[in-house]
Order: sequence, then structure tokens, then C-alpha cells
Amino acid sequence: MIELKNIIKKYEINKNNIVTALDDINLIINEGELVVLKGSSGSGKSTILSLIAALSKPTSGEVIVDTKRISKLPDNFASDFRRDNIGFIFQKYNLINTLSVKENIMLPLVPMNLHVDIVEEKLKRVLEMFHIAHKKDMIVKNLSGGEQQRVAIARANINNPKIIIADEPTANLDEKLSLHFIEIIKELKAQGKTIIIATHDPLFFGLHVADKEIEIHQGIILK
Amino acid sequence: MNTKVNIYLFEFAINSLLRQKYKSIFITLILSVLIFLLTSVFFITNSIKYELQTTVDSLPEIVVQKLKAGRHSDIDIQRVDDILDITGVENVLGRVWGYYYFENAGVNFSIIGIDEYEKQYKNSLTDVAQKLDFSKDSMLIGEGVKDVMEKSYYKEYFNFIKTDGRMKKITIASTFKADTELESNDVIVMSKDNVREIFDISEDKATDIVVKVTNVNEIPTIAAKIKLMFPDTRVITKDDLKISYQNIFDYKSGVFLALFIISFFTFFIIIYDKVSGLSSEEKREIGILKAIGWRVDDVLKEKFYEAFIISFFAYLLGVLFAFFFVYILKAPLLQNIFTGYSQLKTSFTLPFVFDIQTLALVFFLSVPIYVAATIIPSWKSATLEADEVIR
Repeated sequence: MIELKNIIKKYEINKNNIVTALDDINLIINEGELVVLKGSSGSGKSTILSLIAALSKPTSGEVIVDTKRISKLPDNFASDFRRDNIGFIFQKYNLINTLSVKENIMLPLVPMNLHVDIVEEKLKRVLEMFHIAHKKDMIVKNLSGGEQQRVAIARANINNPKIIIADEPTANLDEKLSLHFIEIIKELKAQGKTIIIATHDPLFFGLHVADKEIEIHQGIILK
Repeated sequence: MNTKVNIYLFEFAINSLLRQKYKSIFITLILSVLIFLLTSVFFITNSIKYELQTTVDSLPEIVVQKLKAGRHSDIDIQRVDDILDITGVENVLGRVWGYYYFENAGVNFSIIGIDEYEKQYKNSLTDVAQKLDFSKDSMLIGEGVKDVMEKSYYKEYFNFIKTDGRMKKITIASTFKADTELESNDVIVMSKDNVREIFDISEDKATDIVVKVTNVNEIPTIAAKIKLMFPDTRVITKDDLKISYQNIFDYKSGVFLALFIISFFTFFIIIYDKVSGLSSEEKREIGILKAIGWRVDDVLKEKFYEAFIISFFAYLLGVLFAFFFVYILKAPLLQNIFTGYSQLKTSFTLPFVFDIQTLALVFFLSVPIYVAATIIPSWKSATLEADEVIR
């Protein structure tokens, strides 16, 4: 279970300009749920995702994942938490463009220093699951947008995390590829993963597999 | 905690360098050139220091020169006995020697005269005296002299032009090697009689007088006594000679110090450039790695491998090139800075001096500094919130 308690997040642009991105957010996401966070750009959706993934810390309040207060974790423990529990699909994919598909997908495993057989097995699983095995040696900058997204999804799943977070996953895709992404999400949900998607793409609104739709406006949950 | 070496991390570091191969090659080359310059300077300095020390060790304890209107002139051989009477003097020897200008090559040779049964003032000359055939007009020559003479086709003998304009033919018996290159490379040794004939030095004169004392602590006292006894002489002690050699060396070191400073300055510009920040692409990459679960120490380890591979490779290249340049190519251009004071002398070869401390010094002046300069900005980025770096 993911719980956000009285979360306030402020960004200091400069001494005289402090922006409140989230203002007293309370939210509970149960295990295995698919939650869609919707709202316009700058509403605070990405900030919520960032807090759940321990990529940043709240100004006040607590983020609790399975009884673990991740908002209080020191930096290295936060890294361990992300590596073991979170698969993050970024809006711009955040791939390393000069690496191959295989190398990008393997990146989360590098610090773990696993046996080569285990690495190969994990790699094979996600390459097949997301249908990119035939492109594994290609440099990612030479792939199409849809293929790059599949690489990002594969990378997010290489450690088989229980939480998948996607930030505006279809912002750079056409409708056909966006629908394909939704199919992938359905598959991941079927595997029992908790999925949180921040989007303003209408394709996700009223999605029958979504357990919750939460609308955010100027850092406040509307419904 | 996993203590095994992480091959994946090392592989990632190598791939990271290969991905930016032009940048990596450029940095390696610049570092190599700087390390090459630094190491060459140290190698040459070490060789010259060695040469200097050996030369100084072989210097006579006291040299007495006659001055005529402030200029060096031949001294009466009679004074040898007078000096020998001073308490504390162990041995006194009138030396017969001079510089001979060889016009064909534009160089000076130092011609030293020795007597068969005379006690020489240094060991190297004692060995030479045993080889020289005093019954013939023959000479032993240094390697440098041999090279110069051979270029002018003097392989078996040489015709010296005497002060009256006539020739004196001396046969080349063989070559010899003294303690130092500087010493042996321009030296010709022959009998005192032949030297007297070539330079027109009469039997009752010597070029200068060298004095050996029983107790080295008494050198200044005995030098003062000689000066008092013969006010028209210049009395030079080993310490005086040491200082003048040291002055030449220090002056040359100054030139090298300038080179050293330039190299170091350039190195620090590169370091400053690195420390002052990462490119937006490098920061983004660190942010991505953090976001997907890399720890700060994973990022720093990877950056350490990258920096170490580049700087250590540059270090090896720089040192190897310096070794090749100084000891195989004989340091063209750079060596001339050192030997330039004596254009008229024959060239000399830098003696090989292997000094592990020099290699360690260059290593610590280059590799750890470069590694630190790479890691510090990476650490700054890696300790920021990953979210902040990616955004």
C-alpha cells in the first residue's frame, strides 16, 4: 500500500519566489491498483509520482510504502528502494541515447553485480515481454518513439518491481501506439503490479481497468 | 555487502569512454603531453644532478691558479714544493692542460697532460695512465672526441697545430670512459711533454696546481695560507667549484622550472574546467542512473573507473614517451637548454638514472588530481535529488 499523508511540496525558484506544487495531499493507493492521476500541466501530478518513487522529498508530510517511510530515507537507501520496488517510465523516456537497447535495459542491474546467467535471464524475459528482442543491439537514438518507449518500459520492468509509475507515457506517441501502451499496462496490471499513471491524455479517462481516477488542480486533489 | 569487483560497472565505464571516443582521445592526448613534459623535465634534471654530483666528487680539493692582470696564466712549478711544505698538505701536483679549439667541428677539446710515474689527482686518470704508452706520441680520447674526429676522418691520428703554427701528429691509442659523460666526452689525455709542446708551456711552468689535504676540514685554512704565501694567485676550493657548478645547474633548472610551471598551469586549466561543472548531458545521465536505482557510490565508482582509465593510460603513455625521448632520442631541443652554455663543447649523452620516486611523484601529480577533478563535480550532481537533475 502507498500512502501520502499531509504532503506539502514547495520549490524555491529563488529567495523571493517559492512555488507550492502540492498543498496538503492525502492519498492511499492499494496494492495491485491502477490509478490515473489527471490534470493540466503544472498541476502537481509529476511531483506526486516523484515523491512516491523517492526521487524527491516532501517539504512536509510523509510518504509510506508498505510501512516504510520512504520520505525519510537517506539518499542511498532511497536508491535501493527505487531499484527494488519502482519501475519508472518517464515522459521523455530518459534513455541514454548512445547506448544500445540491451545496455539501456540492463542499467538498473549494473550496480547489483549479479551473475551473468541471472542478468541474461532477466534481460531475455523483458525483451520478449515487450517485443523488442530483435532490436536489442540497436542504438536507442536510432529507434522510433514507440520503440524507445518499449525500451523504457522494459528497463522499468527488468527488476520485476511491484510498483510501475508512468509520467505522461503517451505524450510523444500517436493514438495507435498509445492504445498499444494501454494494452501493455493492462498486462502489467494482470501480473498484480500497482500502477500509477500521470496523464492528461483523454485515452486514459474512463479506462475500465483503472481502479481510481484522481484529478489534481494547482497542487490540490479535486476528487 | 558485495565485495566482488563489479565487472558490469567497469564495463559501463569503458563503454562510456568509448561512447565519447573523440573527447576521451583528446583528453588522453592532452594529459599525455603534459605528463610527458613533466616526466622529461624530471628525467633530465635527475640525469644532470647525477652528472653534477659525480663531477663534483671528482674535483680537486684546492686549485691554485696564477693571475696576470686578472687573467689566468701559467704558474711556476717551483711553487709546488713551497705548498708541499705547508702543514696538513698531503700531495701537490702541477697540472698541464688546456683547451684546444678544433675549427673543423667548431668545438673545444680539453687536453690533459699526465706523467707515467706521477700520482694522479683522480682515480679515472690513474686508470688512463696505465693504458697510455708514454714512449710514443699517442693519446687516449673520450668517446665524444672520437665521434667528432671521425667525422673529420681522423681515425688513427690527429694533427695538432702548435702555437708556432707547425703541426704535431699524435696517434690515437684508444678511447676511454671516465666517471661522467660531461667529463669524458671532450677530454684528450696524453703525456705532459706533448701537452707542453702543443700549448708551448715551458718545463718550469704548469697550467695550475692542485692540492690534496690530509683533513678536509682544513681546506679553508690551507687555502688561506696559500693565498697569503702567493698573493698573485687565485685559490679555488672544492666548495667554490661546487657552487659555480651548482649555479650553472640552478640556472638551467630555472628554465626547466618555467617549463614545469607551464605544463602544470595547463594541467590545472583542464582540471579547473572539469571541476567547474559537468555538461547538461553528463548531469542528465547521472540523474537517470540515480532515478533507476544507482546509489551515489555506484555513480562515483563508475566515474572513478572512467577517470582512472584515462589518466593512468595517459600517465603510461607520457612516461614511456618521456623515457624514449630523453634516453633513446637524447632529448633533442630540451637537452640543448642544459648544454647550451657550452656550444663549443662536444655533445654529451644524458646518463640513465632510474628513480622510482620521480615516477611516483609524476603519478601523484597527475592521476589522483585528474580523478578527483572528475569525481568532485559528479559527486555534486549525484547528491542532488534525482528529480532535480532530470528536470
